[in-house]
Amino acid sequence: MIGPAIYTVMFWVVAASTVLFALAVVNTRKLLRAAIALMAALSTTAGFYVMLDAQFLAGVQVLVYVGGIVVLIVFAIMLTRSGELLEDHPTPERRVVGAAISIMFLILSAAAVWVSPFAEYSTGKTPPNDALSIGKALLDPGPGGYVAPFEVISLLLLAAMIGGIVIARKTPPPNQPFTSGGDLPGETDVYTPLSQRDPKRGGPVS
Amino acid sequence: MTYLTLAATQGAFKTVTVSERTAQAFADGSWILALVYILAAVGALGALVTVVGLVLIYAERKIAAHFQCRLGPMRVGWHGILQTVADAIKLLLKEDVIPERADKAMHLLAPFLSMMATVMILGVLPYSPILQIVDLNIGVLYVTAISGFGVMGILLGGWSSNNKWSMVGAMRAGAQIISYEISATLALLVVVLFSGSMSLAEIVQSQDAGWWVWRAHGVGLVAFIIFVIAVTAEINRTPFDIPEGESELAAGFHTEYSGLRFSFFFLAEFINMFVVSAMAITLFLGGWMPFHIGTGGAFNGAMDLIPPVLWFFGKTSAVVFLIMWFRWTFPRLRVDQLMYLEWKVLLPIGFVNLFAAAVVVLYNLYPFPIIVP
Repeated sequence: MIGPAIYTVMFWVVAASTVLFALAVVNTRKLLRAAIALMAALSTTAGFYVMLDAQFLAGVQVLVYVGGIVVLIVFAIMLTRSGELLEDHPTPERRVVGAAISIMFLILSAAAVWVSPFAEYSTGKTPPNDALSIGKALLDPGPGGYVAPFEVISLLLLAAMIGGIVIARKTPPPNQPFTSGGDLPGETDVYTPLSQRDPKRGGPVS
Repeated sequence: MTYLTLAATQGAFKTVTVSERTAQAFADGSWILALVYILAAVGALGALVTVVGLVLIYAERKIAAHFQCRLGPMRVGWHGILQTVADAIKLLLKEDVIPERADKAMHLLAPFLSMMATVMILGVLPYSPILQIVDLNIGVLYVTAISGFGVMGILLGGWSSNNKWSMVGAMRAGAQIISYEISATLALLVVVLFSGSMSLAEIVQSQDAGWWVWRAHGVGLVAFIIFVIAVTAEINRTPFDIPEGESELAAGFHTEYSGLRFSFFFLAEFINMFVVSAMAITLFLGGWMPFHIGTGGAFNGAMDLIPPVLWFFGKTSAVVFLIMWFRWTFPRLRVDQLMYLEWKVLLPIGFVNLFAAAVVVLYNLYPFPIIVP
């Protein structure tokens, strides 16, 4: 009696705080505060996983979202210096498109929950939750295994990583593979043949 | 206690955590006992934070002083042992200044996040077979995940201060911690491979026949060295202390903090040093297991007489001393050197090492003889 009661209270506390933090994400006008509220909402989602006895998933949720995604978002906000950016008057088009997307997503989520049979939980038994069975399921090529999605996601991440490196690195000017990496003036802007360069400044002879 | 230590080292002793005791008391219907366990756990965590903070700050000042042929604090108490208490009282009585144009709520939240991340890890460390608050079956993953909150605390503190030094310090800290976390995790996975478990208590138990640092055939030693370097960077200690390099950034991300909130950041930094040392010894140096040479014999018997808690804190102190020693041995790295070390040196070594560990475990390749009792 008291065990389920505590469990119910915990569920409502976690659920209410998740909803409140999620509302804070979309209602605050400061971008960084929205990011922090997002972090809190994602952490309380991990609370649900713990209550469903899926501790590994909860750990991964915190590891990926708090330690990865939200830190990345905060970095982006800090780098662009857009923390004070307030969007007071969005254009009507943006309002309409935003509302349409939100409503569509709401319908989609509700439909997904509605049609799901939740077969595992209706029978009262929980699937194995330890790292060993999760690892085996991830690399299982047979039916019920997840090796194909696992490999596809790995490939996607690898492509994203290489793309990030390509975008981030300084590109040398055409026909000139070896430069000082754009540190010298005029080097990355205009291509100057080596013979016409000022030997001291590196740029074109002025 | 003698019985406990002997039984524990023979692998016959089952670890009992405080949470298990609480659940048992709860199931037996004795509410008061369960409540006592919960309060004892919370109180013990608070006491641990205080005591470790006081001891480490005093040790840091004394060790720094003696490395520089000074005496360090000598005035307050015997050899200055009450100096930290005096400093703590001074900090508590100071005015808590919040910069006028700071984001106040975030400014107040940041030190709390930092402290929370640290204390949440203290709860899962196995101090001894009977002294561990909760043993999670995802222990290692939990520790890695929770450190994300620490990064957020630092980033938030730097941003909300509305100060360019804080900001640069926070960015550096964030980039550094995220980068070195990869190497630390790769090193930690080697131990997970060998012990076949992510639970910290089980990892300690798996070192019954020998500590992973030498029983893991070379890869353990490499992993240990990578881990120590990476965690030194993760807790922003010299030579990786560019986030708060005082010669360039005033005090980095906590420049604008004062009073109690500054002491939160400061304390979290010192407790983090304890936490990473405790993690290093739990994973690689046998946790609370005593030091043994071979099997049986008078020497091992004598080692068994020392209680596990003393082993734990003794080994942790040794690693803490090592980290403090680094500070007076290596000069501070530049930002580009820091990134070079992580991405071009530690990360490739870590990957190769993890691969080698997987091969060793998979094919039972044991080039060195091991003694199984």
